[in-house]
Amino acid sequence: MTTQLDYDVIVVGAGCAGPAAAKKCAELGLKTLLVEKSSEPGGKNVSGTCLNMAALGDTDLHYIMKCPIEREIHSMRTYQISDDRMTVFNEMPKSGILLLSIRRDEFDKWHTEQARKAGAEVRLGIAVVDIIEENDVVQGVVLESGEQLRSHVVIDGGGVNSIVGRKASLIPKRSGQNMILYLTAAVYLGEEVINERFRDEQGGYCIEYYLAPGIQHKTWPWIFPKKDTVTLGTGGYMTKDLINNEFPNVQQYMQNFMDLPIVKKKLAGGRVESWGLHLEFDGKIAQKTKSGLILTGEAGGFVIPFLGEGMPEAFFTGIYAAKTAAECIQKNDISQATLSEIYEEFIQENLFMQGFMYVGEENKKSILSKTDEEIVEIMQSVVMGGGFITNVVHTKWLRGVENDSLEDIEDAQTFLEFIQPYRQVSTDYLEIYREMRAQAKLEEISTKGDEI
Amino acid sequence: MPADVTFHYYEGERGEFIQVIEERCIGCGQCAKFCTTGVWEKIDKIYKPIHLKKCAECGACWNVCDADAIIFGEPRGGTGVKFTHG
Ligand SMILES: Cc1cc2nc3c(=O)[nH]c(=O)nc-3n(C[C@H](O)[C@H](O)[C@H](O)COP(=O)(O)OP(=O)(O)OC[C@H]3O[C@@H](n4cnc5c(N)ncnc54)[C@H](O)[C@@H]3O)c2cc1C
Repeated sequence: MTTQLDYDVIVVGAGCAGPAAAKKCAELGLKTLLVEKSSEPGGKNVSGTCLNMAALGDTDLHYIMKCPIEREIHSMRTYQISDDRMTVFNEMPKSGILLLSIRRDEFDKWHTEQARKAGAEVRLGIAVVDIIEENDVVQGVVLESGEQLRSHVVIDGGGVNSIVGRKASLIPKRSGQNMILYLTAAVYLGEEVINERFRDEQGGYCIEYYLAPGIQHKTWPWIFPKKDTVTLGTGGYMTKDLINNEFPNVQQYMQNFMDLPIVKKKLAGGRVESWGLHLEFDGKIAQKTKSGLILTGEAGGFVIPFLGEGMPEAFFTGIYAAKTAAECIQKNDISQATLSEIYEEFIQENLFMQGFMYVGEENKKSILSKTDEEIVEIMQSVVMGGGFITNVVHTKWLRGVENDSLEDIEDAQTFLEFIQPYRQVSTDYLEIYREMRAQAKLEEISTKGDEI
Repeated sequence: MPADVTFHYYEGERGEFIQVIEERCIGCGQCAKFCTTGVWEKIDKIYKPIHLKKCAECGACWNVCDADAIIFGEPRGGTGVKFTHG
């Protein structure tokens, strides 16, 4: 291995995966650079921005609980609307916090700062435009200035269309049933109004899903409350029917969504602060490593199918990529085979990711083949984790009965046993959460003290 | 509330970060169909990113181009679409 290196690891992208990777690399003693094309981390990023508490319960992600939080979310509500009726489902755990809602502009900035504090060098406002590849080994990156930077390992955290993964021929063109085109709107309502309109019967705050004809294409629209704004999201899988005469663009789905009488009421008096547009890929990337390169987060296809959750998966894979890089650099072996073996092992060991991925895939299988009307019907049982899991079990069970296959039925049974722990909203993490919030407060005070 | 979608942008020229390879374009129009902001226009027989200023950098056009006629590069660092409240 050449010794003329600028860094041990170069991490591309300060979204969700990048800062997690850079922080971990620095903590492991690696000379690390984190490069972000936006002058402010988060300025290019769009998300529903609800962080799954069950994932943050993992020791690796406890520190995320210290991030700038907009709101604690306690429950979920689904409105199923047809021409003649509206049915409302509430999924309300007795206690505990389901999700944390955040803002990417604030969150990504905070997260990047954590990487910097851990010792990573951060360069903002400069784009990576190519990779340096010699003899099939990725040796570093090329910046827009033409500057070439070399490292043992490059970690790609560049997101869904990352140029790093594309140049390495690992990220192909994608559309159809794996790629979602999402339009979002942040609507300012003010804190007090949101407190009133997005509250559940237990006094907590809730996120909302909506299902109605003409407001989505094989996905489901949502409203997520933040502190003084709410985010609306809709769009659909990029099949050829996404855009047609009735829906000449995704704005039409959004317009119909905003025009639902119940949504109009929810948004009354509000104004759109900003729009967002983003793709989300929830299929699999065939190969996630190359000699000297590891793809993480969305660049590596780590989004839970159909459920569209990708932030925790990006944190996890960013951290695992860092650990993998450290181990391989130490062994003096950054070959594709070794990187892949170690990286995959970390991923396989994460039961949260495996369980959730499986549930998502099974749901997607049973849902994408159906018409919009049928989807709305299925959604009746697909409220929150519980519903999704039930749908998997039922589908497998019924398939077993239909095909007279004991194997499928046993499969359903095994799965049900495996998934039990994830059906409960665990309250174990609440204590950790409180501790992390207290620590965050102390850190904030000490930073302010430094400034004075 | 009207869904009149407009985006915020950072200051500074982004550069020609989306280009069409003219001899490859077959004029199918998928790029224009999936573009939310109306960047693409048909000029004679092929499509061109005439209104690149309106681009929100989602990459839908590149992803749906079966003819491999689109170069989807990076806007200059610190420029381009700006999302807040993301
Ligand atoms: C509308 C929508 C709603 C969603 N809702 C949720 C949700 O509620 N919960 C959840 O968990 N997940 C959600 N997701 C998924 C989640 O947002 C993504 O999976 C997650 O952001 C992926 O993180 P990432 O770090 O891989 O990529 P990103 O967050 O996209 O970050 C990539 C970063 O790399 C930078 N970058 C890219 N290319 C370059 C380059 N060449 N040079 C320098 N920098 C570069 C970008 O500017 C960006 O900062 C949602 C996604 C969408 C689109």
